[in-house]
Parts: sequence; structure tokens; C-alpha cells
Amino acid sequence: MSGDGAFDVVIVGGGVVGCAIARRLSFTTARVAVVEAAHDVGEGASKGNTGIATCGADCTPGTLEAELVTRSAPGWEALCASLDTPWERIGTLCVALTEDDEAALGHLVEQARANGCEAELVSGDRARELEPLVTGSARAAVHIPADGIVDSLRLTIGYAELAARNGVRFFLSSPVTGFEVDGERVTAVHTATGTISAGFVVNAAGVGAGQVSALAGGEPFRCWPRQGQYWLLDRELGGRFRKVVGGVPNERTRGIYCVPTTNRSLLLGPTADDREDPDDRAVSRDVLEHVLEAARRLVPAIRREHAIKTFAANRPASDTTYRLEADGWRPNLIHAAGIRSTGVSGSPAIAEQVHELLAEAGAPVLDEHPRALAALEPLPRLLHHPRPEELFAADRRYGQVVCACEQVTAAEIAGAFAMALPPRSVDGLRKRTRATGGRCQGAVCLAGVSFLCSLHTATAPWLLAQSEPTATLGVGPADA
Amino acid sequence: MPDTVVVVGAGLTGLACAASLPGRIRPVVVDRIPVPGGVHGWDTDETRSAEAAARSRGAILHLGETATRWDGEELLVMGQDGVRRIPARALVVAAGSRPLGRAELGLAGPRPAGILAATVACHLSETGLLAGRRPAVVGGGDWAARAVAELLHAGAEHIQVVTPDGVLRRFPESPALTVRTATPVAVEGGPRVSALRLQGGERVECDALVLAHGLVPLRNVDGAVWEGARTVYAQPADDPATVSAARQAGAAAAAEVEQMLDAA
Repeated sequence: MSGDGAFDVVIVGGGVVGCAIARRLSFTTARVAVVEAAHDVGEGASKGNTGIATCGADCTPGTLEAELVTRSAPGWEALCASLDTPWERIGTLCVALTEDDEAALGHLVEQARANGCEAELVSGDRARELEPLVTGSARAAVHIPADGIVDSLRLTIGYAELAARNGVRFFLSSPVTGFEVDGERVTAVHTATGTISAGFVVNAAGVGAGQVSALAGGEPFRCWPRQGQYWLLDRELGGRFRKVVGGVPNERTRGIYCVPTTNRSLLLGPTADDREDPDDRAVSRDVLEHVLEAARRLVPAIRREHAIKTFAANRPASDTTYRLEADGWRPNLIHAAGIRSTGVSGSPAIAEQVHELLAEAGAPVLDEHPRALAALEPLPRLLHHPRPEELFAADRRYGQVVCACEQVTAAEIAGAFAMALPPRSVDGLRKRTRATGGRCQGAVCLAGVSFLCSLHTATAPWLLAQSEPTATLGVGPADA
Repeated sequence: MPDTVVVVGAGLTGLACAASLPGRIRPVVVDRIPVPGGVHGWDTDETRSAEAAARSRGAILHLGETATRWDGEELLVMGQDGVRRIPARALVVAAGSRPLGRAELGLAGPRPAGILAATVACHLSETGLLAGRRPAVVGGGDWAARAVAELLHAGAEHIQVVTPDGVLRRFPESPALTVRTATPVAVEGGPRVSALRLQGGERVECDALVLAHGLVPLRNVDGAVWEGARTVYAQPADDPATVSAARQAGAAAAAEVEQMLDAA
């Protein structure tokens, strides 16, 4: 990494929070870098979440989380349009199935109103009018119309791509190993791939944020993984959903949700189990059965046969939430840590807040970048496109459907590889295009998709990474 | 102008369906692969005669084109020559089947690389990639047998076959093959798969895992996945269909289409 020069701000962590900050800073003249341990951005909690962009109705009133999530909410349509990210404001129904649930609905409405969010207490019948898939045994519900759904993979990648196009440097596969310190200030970041000098450091390392602070000699705090397990269900069911359907949140968790995704699949989850190992992403049968049962209590039409994938992801739990502040011991280290489960929902305002904190700490982030792009050029997708003839007229490769389930074409795959932050694995391509992510999970297209990846990256197919570089597709060439 | 019925899938089943439709119907067959025959292969006598029978019935074949959406009246097809919208009275889905995926098998554990559907393992092996030197294969049916043959041919040194239901078909004779009946419950490993865990706790060490058990019909056309308006499914449950089962399924689907159109 020698010769890469010095950076005014180095952001540690390329998740949704780090990338949102990178985008915000890319509108300024500051020289900015992102260092990320994984081979791609959005590899932690940012790729395993419900995709709900909550308006903040169920946040605890008066907290920084509530303030930043509600501040983010009105801007989603414009932001996602600028990041070529699918988004829909479809609303949530929190459904009461028991007497206790029903008694808690009043509190939910009060909480929503205290946060300035619209929330309406409705009867079970009205809930089924709003979402006919809701169980007949629903006693009542709270409707939160301003909640949205977002493709959180594309959001993270959109933030990062716009930042990269505006000159932010991304150092991937570069886990932080230590810091250079002069007096009380951090002066450089050591990573597995080199050392970068830094005027200011932003700690957006998610589950690893406590460790990053410790390495920098900052204040001690603890972060640990809270695992969530999920089911992904078919578009033929997800496409019938009009609302996010959840239960009634309690103090510890928001519970199991049925979340239609922006490409019409359906997500069920998450669970909440504290773990030790941030890389532990194993699913277990018992936990998944519990998720399925909880979801079926809300929506009886859900069947096991609809399942196309199960997965687990770790979101950061921590001893303090929303730690957005300059470190007490290292004044040029700004924490954006402890973003427990609203990283996606709060990311726009978190980025603004971190920008302000950097400015207060004296970082050169106040001059506007005169030629910064405000928006990405959209890459049109065939799936659900109203006029495929126009796509084909613009680029004949739209005629070549590579992933049949998700209807991903050769044009979209070429578009992904032409990005400033192109995919470096089959998984990276899936995150950008959904190729191999549909109901057959690549059983039909993985070979074809991997050959296209090989062509675009000039990599032998058996060396092609499914995710991290050593997670190769094969073990070698076949015998001739 | 006769009524059109579109058949998705130019395998033996789809071609047999096209050949069996009544004379007042114009059959159109669409397949994403540029040759007919499906899993049976294009260079076979059965495929040639099935294609000839369909063509002599007046069938039009659009090969190398992908059916994407069906709304009950029109099928949207994407191809390298452009977009085709085919108005039709009915859609027949004869798109074949695939083995169960990881979630469908209920396999717990992490998500390491090297876990491949048998369809993919065969395709990769045919095109020069060695999926694993010591792979495990889940399943004992035709997909498993095909995958084993392809893996051995590509250079696998030892293959452990785990068949959940004891079904075994046409495995090649090879000292490099171990077969057992057991229920797989979880995978282990990272960044590549390192073992398959069986019910009872036993581990099968492996450097790749090929999923070849069971069969799920392939349904890739939006609007024709489970129910679907004016849609008939010609996807027999055999593993994969024998030539005669394919012909029977095609003829049965053609009869079902006729009934449906008569009722309309």
C-alpha cells in the first residue's frame, strides 16, 4: 500500500454505516479511505438483516437511535433513487395474537407518536383488509404506514460505489492489525495489506468496533455478535404480501417478522442469540423451526415448501448503543459504534452526525467537492421491467438471461463488473445482481454465472472465489 | 389462425407434449438451451425422433431463448435476437427438475464454499473443473450416479456417497467409491466445506459436497410457479424421467391442455 499517500479520514469498516459515512465525506474535498477486513463491502450484519428501513416508530423515545432513525426516514425515496437501490414504503402491521400482545399495542402507539411517527391501532378485521394474509386469529394490530423495505445489500454497495466514484479509496481484505500513535493522536492505521497514514479515524467496525478502539488505545467498550437466523421464501408467496407483518416487540427483541423484499421474495426472521465468535454463521434446525412456527402464527399461508434458503448473520450488540462521539482518550478517533439493529434505518443520519463530529474535531470536511457525483447512473434490471424491448434495444446482452430464477441477464452482470467497486467473488456478484440468489439457489445457473465471472476477472474457474479468496469454487483443473 | 399453446422445455417431455397436442393447436416450444433433448442430451436417437415428431405436428421451436413471464395470455421470452411476446391459450411447463437444495434438505451449519448442486457439479466437471478430490455426494438416484461418474472422470480420488433413503441406481463400479445409507444433518467447514455430519454424530470428511438427493420441479417462469392461470405442469416425479415416462408425461399434459381448452 506504499505510495497511496495520506488520508484525511480513514474509515474502519465497510458495512452499511462505514459506507454511508464514506459517501457523505465523498461530497467534500477530504481525502478519504475505507479499510475493510472482508473481500467486499457489506459482508457483516449489512448482508444479513431484514431489509426493513423502519421509520423509528418502535425506537425508545428520547434516544439518539430514535432521533437519527426518525431523521433518516423522510429521505429514503430520494436517497435510494440516487443510489440505484430498490426501496418501497409499504408499512408494517404489528399483529397482536394474545391478550398480552393486545394490551401492549397501546404502548406501541404511544411510543410511535412520541417519536413523531404515524401509528394507528386497528381491529383484526381492518388488519386483514390491509394485509389479507394476516391470520384470522389476529385480535388487533398497529399499522405503521411509514416503514419501508430496502435492498440492504444494494444500499451498502450503492453508498460505497458512489463514494468510490467520487474518489474514496477502498482497501478490501485489509483487516486492521494496529495503529500508529503520536501523543494522544492516532496517526496511521496498520492493516494486513499495508499502513495508511490518517488525520482522523472513524471506527465503524460493527461487531469489531470494541477491538478497534482497544487497538487504537481508545476508551474500552465491548461489542459482541448477536446472531439472527432467517428463512428466505419464494417470490410467488412474497409477491402476494402488501405489508411487513410482525408481532408485538418486547423489551429485548423486535421479534420475528415476515418481510417482503424489494424483489418480492419473503424473509422470515430474525432470532436474537448472543454469541462469542463473529464468524459463527451456522444455522440450526431447532432455531429455524421456531422462526417458521412464529411466522406461521402470523401468516398461516407460509409453507415450508416455499423455502429457498436459510442463513444466519451477526449484528453488533454492545454495552452502549449508538456510541457516536469522539473518543475520550484519542480526540481524532470518532466512534460510529454500537449500532445494534438499526444500522440500515439510521445510516443516512448517522453519516451526517459523523460528518459533524469530524468537523467539530477539526477534520477538513467542510469544503464541498466541486465535481462530486450526487447520484449513480441506474443499471436497469430485467426482473419486473415494464418494457424489456427498450432494454434489449439499448444493450443486446439483455436478451441473454443467465440466472433464470432472478432473470439476471449478461448485461446486468457486465454492468456489475464495470463498477468502481466490482464483485470479487460469485457472492459479490449475487449481492450486486441477485444472480444465483433465486429459488433454485444456482442449481441451474451457477456454472454459467461462474464462467462469466471467470471471463470478467480473468481467473481460472477453479480459483474463482465463492466468497472470501480462499473459498474457491473448485480444487483444481479436471484431468484432461 | 389456430390457437397457440406454448411448451417451456424442449426435453423429451416437452417435445412429446408438442407432438401429442390436437391438430387445431399450434405448438410453440421454448428452451433456454440452444439444442433440444434436455437432460437426455441432444445427440441421441430418442431426442432426434422426439424432435421430428414435434416438428411434423407443426411445432415451432425457439431454442436458446428464456421464458420469463406468463400472465395467462402471453408469454414473455428473452433471446439473443430480441424480445418475443407469444400470445397463447395455455402454457405447459416441462422444464425438468433439479435435486433438493441445502435449505430443502434441512442441512444446518455454516455456509462454506464447495457445496454444489449435482446439476452444477456435472456442468463444472464437463467443462474442466475438479469440484473436489475427496467429495461427498448426498443422494442415490440418477443425479447422484451422474455426478459420481463426472467427478471420477474429472479426477476425484475418492467419493463417499450418502444416500438418505437407501435408493441406489446405476453407480459406476469403482474402488474409489464408498456408499452408505444415512441421513445428513449438517455441514462443517470454512472457507471450504470440510465435512458432512450425519444423524447420530458421525462425520464424513470431504473437500466438496454435491447435493443430488430428491427432485424438485424447476419452475422459472413468473406466473407459473405453483398454480398459474391456464398452466399445465408436465414434470414427472421420476429421477429423472425415463424415455417412456417422459413420453407419457408429455401426452398426459397434452390431454390436460385439451380438456382445459374445451372447458373454457
